[in-house]
Amino acid sequence: MDKNKSFQNIIIKLQNYWMDQGCVLLQPYDTEVGAGTFHPATVLRVLGPDPIWKAAYLQPCRRPTDGRYGENPNRLQHYYQFQVIIQPSPDDVQNLYLESLNAVGLNSKNHDIRFVEDDWESPTLGASGLGWEIWCNGMEITQFTYFQQVGGIEVKPVASEITYGLERLAMFIQKVENVYNLDWDGLDKDKGGKTYGDIFLQQEKEFSIYNFEKSNSSVLIQHFNDAEKECSFLLDDKINPLPLPAYDQCIKASHIFNLLDARGVISVSERQAYILRVRNMSRSCCLAWMDKSNV
Amino acid sequence: MSKNKGEKGNLLLELFSEEIPARMQIGSEKQLTNLFEKSLMNRDIGYGPISTFCSPRHLSVIIKNVDLKQKNQIIEKRGPRFGSNENAIHGFLKSNNIQENDIIIKDTKNGKFYFYLNQINGINTSEVLPEIINEIINNFVWPKSQRWAYSELRWARPLRNILLLFNNQPIEGKVAIDKNKFLNFSTYTFGHRNENKKIEVENIDEYQRLLENNYIILDRKKRKNKIIKDTKLLLKDKHIKLLDDDYLLDEVLGLVEFPNVLIGTIDKQFMNLPKEVLTTAMKVHQKYFSIIDDKNNLVPKFLFVSNTIPKKEIDKSIIEGNERVLKARLSDADFFWKTDTSTKIENFNEKLKKVLFYEGLGSLHDKTIRLSAVSKYFSSLFKVDVSLAREACILSKFDLVSEMVGEFPELQGIMGGYYTKLNGKPNEISNAIFDQYKPKGISNDIPKTKLGCMLSMVDNIDNLTGFFIINKKPSGSKDPFALRRAGYSIVQILMKLKLNISINDLFNETLKSYENSSKTIKLDLIDFIIDKVKFILKKQNFRDDIIESVISLKESKNYLFPILYERVKCLNDVKDTNDFKTFLVNFKRLNNIIKSNKLLDISNVKLNIHLFESSEEQEIYDKFKNLDINLKKYLTDQEHQGIILNEVVNLHYVIHSFFEKIIVNHEDNKIKVNRIKLLTELTERLLKFSNFHYIEN
Repeated sequence: MDKNKSFQNIIIKLQNYWMDQGCVLLQPYDTEVGAGTFHPATVLRVLGPDPIWKAAYLQPCRRPTDGRYGENPNRLQHYYQFQVIIQPSPDDVQNLYLESLNAVGLNSKNHDIRFVEDDWESPTLGASGLGWEIWCNGMEITQFTYFQQVGGIEVKPVASEITYGLERLAMFIQKVENVYNLDWDGLDKDKGGKTYGDIFLQQEKEFSIYNFEKSNSSVLIQHFNDAEKECSFLLDDKINPLPLPAYDQCIKASHIFNLLDARGVISVSERQAYILRVRNMSRSCCLAWMDKSNV
Repeated sequence: MSKNKGEKGNLLLELFSEEIPARMQIGSEKQLTNLFEKSLMNRDIGYGPISTFCSPRHLSVIIKNVDLKQKNQIIEKRGPRFGSNENAIHGFLKSNNIQENDIIIKDTKNGKFYFYLNQINGINTSEVLPEIINEIINNFVWPKSQRWAYSELRWARPLRNILLLFNNQPIEGKVAIDKNKFLNFSTYTFGHRNENKKIEVENIDEYQRLLENNYIILDRKKRKNKIIKDTKLLLKDKHIKLLDDDYLLDEVLGLVEFPNVLIGTIDKQFMNLPKEVLTTAMKVHQKYFSIIDDKNNLVPKFLFVSNTIPKKEIDKSIIEGNERVLKARLSDADFFWKTDTSTKIENFNEKLKKVLFYEGLGSLHDKTIRLSAVSKYFSSLFKVDVSLAREACILSKFDLVSEMVGEFPELQGIMGGYYTKLNGKPNEISNAIFDQYKPKGISNDIPKTKLGCMLSMVDNIDNLTGFFIINKKPSGSKDPFALRRAGYSIVQILMKLKLNISINDLFNETLKSYENSSKTIKLDLIDFIIDKVKFILKKQNFRDDIIESVISLKESKNYLFPILYERVKCLNDVKDTNDFKTFLVNFKRLNNIIKSNKLLDISNVKLNIHLFESSEEQEIYDKFKNLDINLKKYLTDQEHQGIILNEVVNLHYVIHSFFEKIIVNHEDNKIKVNRIKLLTELTERLLKFSNFHYIEN
């Protein structure tokens, strides 16, 4: 056991590193999201009001379709991202990133670090950017994106988004082949030390069953419709629209859509329609947010 | 006059950025050359050889022997007309501030004028370089580009440094990134990421070597050679070699600045997976090369190219890291394989009903139904068993909903082949399904079996027909459904298998399987395929005009394809013989006579042999009669194409002696008309074989 390399220590080190770079250190958003990007600290903040915005936070993510009943060593329906959003993108942002690897004990000079083209797009957020997936000895450990658009709106100035896949990064640092064997706390087992599996295996099993077999589609569809209604209700008030609560509804709808997708009840043509509905919600929220921040 | 006139110097420009996508690098080199040439030419600056280089972060150009000075410009000014009065001439001299001996007299279209040739000395190249560099950077077009921070400039990835040396001297200047931010031209660049050293460049001749000392191999070719050389060293004395993959190698070249070739081991537990699965999983996600033995079997090794400075300890940990990643990737693939192979084909097929093929074209299941509906007709065309053909059609698409193809779309067909085999389907069927997406390009192989060819063809015909019906024809550079490739595939198979079908009949059965087809759609499809037939024939080195002379025949659409092909081939074979050339000359005379008499209405005239006055007329008549009989019998007989052509070509003797001896324009109009009728009848027969007037002599 090496306390330095434990999962929780990697989180702390990333937090400290980015805090030292002048980032606002935030906590995870308290709603289910598919990616750290969905946090209002990214989606809404890059649209204003302040042209300078630097934030770092941990974000648990839900990808219902990626569940594997705890049987696959790399795929999870719930996992952690560490997200750094810096606006405007600094000139030395790549080096800042490489330094952050050094901070978590991964000396980038001793590894094959590669920036491989990967343009990012989120159809539900109406967002897109150019960047790379970053490989370390063949493993993708980070997504790096220069945000060009959010909610269909040009991001000005452009922000850089760094998203670490924490399980992957930790597996690399700990040289572990199965995510469930990750050392969480650096304590020996007989002293109460816990692995990733000790904490999350049961969760993966139960949620896989829920996502794929048990979720109630008609209830979910109703929830989706309700969220959509609530979202537009909150924005319709022209005098005092509430983009933040409205955006909560948008995130909820997005997660419900993912659940329905995992349940396999959405046909290809319906799929497109659902995506469009979420996209419209997020766009309306973004526009309302911008209106408010420009006052 | 400057002493520097005629002196030259070398120029170096390096555009240093964050990692440019691999696929854009080759194009960026070409564009840099083009833009630079254009800028220099526009300014009358002479230059020598241009070489460009591109690695992920460095895009450079070196131009040898660039003029140190722009060429002198001569600006011509026209003055008054020659012979104008003194005042006019004086005014011209004064306005240009010149003397009488500075002007000359020149002839123009409109008469003689006074001219003043004003010679402006070219300015120093170093002074216009900043303007040129700005022009190049601002006119550069990337396939996809981005902004960063406040930038107004777009680049594939953020542009961070511009190195500019001319004649080994720095040039002062800058490029605007945004309103407040500029990149000044510098004299330095940066080495390998892992060292991140700033490198001062003082001598252009040293530039490449300097970078190489800092672990940047700028030249793509050099990187390639290093990879090939290092690979040979690693695989030495073993009966193994790389599975060739130029596309992958090209991509890898764009991902490394200092290629370090390493070899890793594939965990034995995965070696039971199909070869294609292993190769694809390694290639698509990881950019690893597969290694095969002399029997073409995969060996449990993989080769990859790291972007690092070779050091034993570090290499070892890089290999271990990559092995771990591959293990994870392959356990995913293994999971898919196990899931898929424990699923019944019927269940997959059930799922197909829910998957849209394309809006307006039904589900994938509907597609398989359409394919099987036409399988009866096509099985007899391909001479394959009808029930096997039908089942192959029904089973052709289920793998599209399998886990494996969901993860690796490039394994479509291949997985269907494996899964049907495991489910005990006949080999003919699984082989056909395996190969159904071939040929993938004009130089690619067609499916190995006849049933495979049939499946490929009916699928492509269905694609073409369907997308034409919903009006998604390819236009210009847009062909999102790869319909052109579908057309080429159809023609390739038609040609290789010499299928007895006409272009006109190709789409009939498939059109019946759609409700909303129409005559226009059929005609569009036929035109589309004719275009592809021409292209493929051209690719086989048949001459354009020869192809056109046959394809342009009205009847050609109704010819069975092998006849069409054979006729083009026969014509192409004889095109350079003297006999054929003589024939063409005579045919042209024939054609001209008829053309010049085309006002004469002879449609109701009957040829009258009693009006013949000469043996030449009789001889033409005999030959024409004979040709007529043979055409009726053999025009659409594959074996006889060459024989008929021979007969046609040999007509040049009688046509020639006819024109030598006979004057068509006889004073007796009856005889004249009869002669024209005779020649017209003959020409009409000739034109049944080919539009000879299309052929250039």
